[in-house]
Amino acid sequence: MNEGWTSVVFNNRDPVYLQVVRHFKEQIATGRLKAGQVIPSRRELGALLKINPNTAQKAYKEMEEQRLIITEGNSPSRITDEAEILRTIRSELIESAVEAFVVSVRRIDVPVDELLELVRTKYVEERSRTSQEEGGSSDD
Amino acid sequence: MIEVIDLHKRYRGRKVLNGVSFTAEKGQITCLIGINGAGKSTILKAIMGLTPVKSGLIRIDDAPVGPTMYEKVAFVPDHLTTPTGMKLSEGIQFMKDFYVNWNDARANELLKFFKLDRTERVGNLSKGTAAKYSLLLGLSQNTDYILMDEPFSGIDMFSREVIAEVFSTDLIEDRGVLLTTHEIDDMEHLIDQAVLLQNGSVQLAFDCEEMRTTEGKSVIDVMREVYTG
Repeated sequence: MNEGWTSVVFNNRDPVYLQVVRHFKEQIATGRLKAGQVIPSRRELGALLKINPNTAQKAYKEMEEQRLIITEGNSPSRITDEAEILRTIRSELIESAVEAFVVSVRRIDVPVDELLELVRTKYVEERSRTSQEEGGSSDD
Repeated sequence: MIEVIDLHKRYRGRKVLNGVSFTAEKGQITCLIGINGAGKSTILKAIMGLTPVKSGLIRIDDAPVGPTMYEKVAFVPDHLTTPTGMKLSEGIQFMKDFYVNWNDARANELLKFFKLDRTERVGNLSKGTAAKYSLLLGLSQNTDYILMDEPFSGIDMFSREVIAEVFSTDLIEDRGVLLTTHEIDDMEHLIDQAVLLQNGSVQLAFDCEEMRTTEGKSVIDVMREVYTG
């Protein structure tokens, strides 16, 4: 259960609780957290991420409002089962990453075909490199 | 809530505190930030009634400070006050005899967590270990509030990490924590409220997450503006 939690590095300028929410979204988009999966309690999360309990609480509240997680009565919180929401998370993350990329590359004014070819090459390289490093564990 | 209202204090002709006002809420970690000599420690001591002030008011949960507050507020000074000849276990017994609200189970838990040897003498502790023991003595009191004076100062990074871990556990949950520091580095993600002190008064007090949300500024960004701007 600790896997993927201890490596979170926070930046100082974005609200910590939103960085926590983003981390959850990434875990969901990459399949490390699955639909209906039970997640750590607020207290456990605070300890795992080394954040203060108020911040953990705030992150959970935000995720409940975004219907990312469900907390019913006294049972532990879990990831939502709603396929629609889970799909949205993935496209939302991809879109925001692409937007950031486009903003920074726009200044250089590259023809779109040249750019796409470069992206393809780099992306394939990077993926094969990181999947080797992780021992191809991205599917488990 | 701890309320500090218009606190003034002079020491050897210098205005150490010059109208300090701020609040520290229960369930929040409030950090008094300021360079050395800004009056941080003096404020904590004033809250604990350990130093006289010229004027001003301190209230804890709407009541003026008095003897009963020592069961309500714990103080972790920046140096150990336990007699150096005592073993750690004797120091703990000493606190137990004094404080009605002493929580022995928690003290034992913290001995393990900090990997402290209860047979060691207080005088033999390294600075990092002494800081952990000092924190143990404060945290083992079941108080609503805990004041900590420079819990990270002059301590090796591994001890700092262990001490920082305390702030993400139920050891401080629901309590009001008021701590001082002159370097925010390790604490940036852990604190809820920041109170910036300069020349004996509060320059700015803010909610850290709110500052990040509305202005996109880290605590250090704000400190730079206040102290060098």
